[in-house]
Amino acid sequence: MPDLDEMVAKYRPIVSFKVRKSLGSHTPEWEDIVNEILMNAIEKIKKGDFRGDSNIGTFIYTITSRRIVDYIRGKSKVLKHAPEPDPFLPPEIHVENKQNAEVLAKAIEKLNPKYKEVLYLYYYKELSREEVAQELGIPPRRVSERVNYAQKLLKKTMKK
Amino acid sequence: MRECNYQHLIDDYLLNKLSKAKKKEFEEHYFSCSECFEKVSERDDLIAVIKDRGEILFQDIAAEKKTRRDSWIEKASDFLTPKQWVTATVSVAIALVVVLTLIPVLKSPAPQFFINDDVVRGESITLISPVIDIESVPSEFSWKSSGEDMEYRIYIYNHELLWSATTLETSITLPEDVRERMVAGETYSWQVKAFSQEGALAAVSSRVQFRFTPSQ
Repeated sequence: MPDLDEMVAKYRPIVSFKVRKSLGSHTPEWEDIVNEILMNAIEKIKKGDFRGDSNIGTFIYTITSRRIVDYIRGKSKVLKHAPEPDPFLPPEIHVENKQNAEVLAKAIEKLNPKYKEVLYLYYYKELSREEVAQELGIPPRRVSERVNYAQKLLKKTMKK
Repeated sequence: MRECNYQHLIDDYLLNKLSKAKKKEFEEHYFSCSECFEKVSERDDLIAVIKDRGEILFQDIAAEKKTRRDSWIEKASDFLTPKQWVTATVSVAIALVVVLTLIPVLKSPAPQFFINDDVVRGESITLISPVIDIESVPSEFSWKSSGEDMEYRIYIYNHELLWSATTLETSITLPEDVRERMVAGETYSWQVKAFSQEGALAAVSSRVQFRFTPSQ
């Protein structure tokens, strides 16, 4: 039997991420739902519903996605036979991240134009990798490299 | 750090570009792969700030791109003077019109004319009767069939169009009032056009002359 406290500590951020992606941080109950999911997982493991040989991550993911679907169905009174709701919210700044966001914003502003440009085209304008490559006159794989490097630079700036 | 197979899907996932199935697969993966989850979470924070503050953050980049685009347009229009642009555009338009009108003319076979009983095959309609001189005002006009499901239009001319009618048959009777208008000794001509069911012109006969001279 896996160490349950350790498991909760490890999976809380992951479950939270997924729940907020589907329901949004502005849904006040999101934290309760995360707790319900983790409680449910613990119960099942204690009952012996989870076999140690299969993947815990997949096990918890299944509980998570089911709970999200039930929540949405409950809220919108959608017919049971309607297709499974599958909402997806774009990246949003979370309240507890506000300060971090400020620091990150400043770092982006100060970025070398070469890296700033690729972030602008790829994430702000949401051009495809190929479109960005064409605009900048570089091969597509270089676009991904530049984006990754930009993120590394930002991390470095923020650590200072 | 070891490269995970799913890393290249991170951006598409966060920008919601993955298919439903791929999305589920990717989510299931980051529930199990802590390296990927960390990357997903970090990228999510970055994109969130970019989306939230982008308008201000990228002001300089957007402005630079705009001036670059504007100067390109300026350079392109400076390439020729306005007068030269007009001449160039008009020449191209004329050339296009010439080419487009020539294409059907060059493609179609030269029209064939006959003033006797020779039968002309192919896309022409053979007129059966009357052809050339007859003794009285013709009452019936007939021609050879051009194919199945055709609609025929007959035209009778004096110096100008005298009468026209449509039929599905390969012959038609001249109406009384038109017959009365026809005068002995005058030269008339007639022509038949065949149209397909959809209304497209399928075949044309040449114009055949006739006149009637009542025997004394």
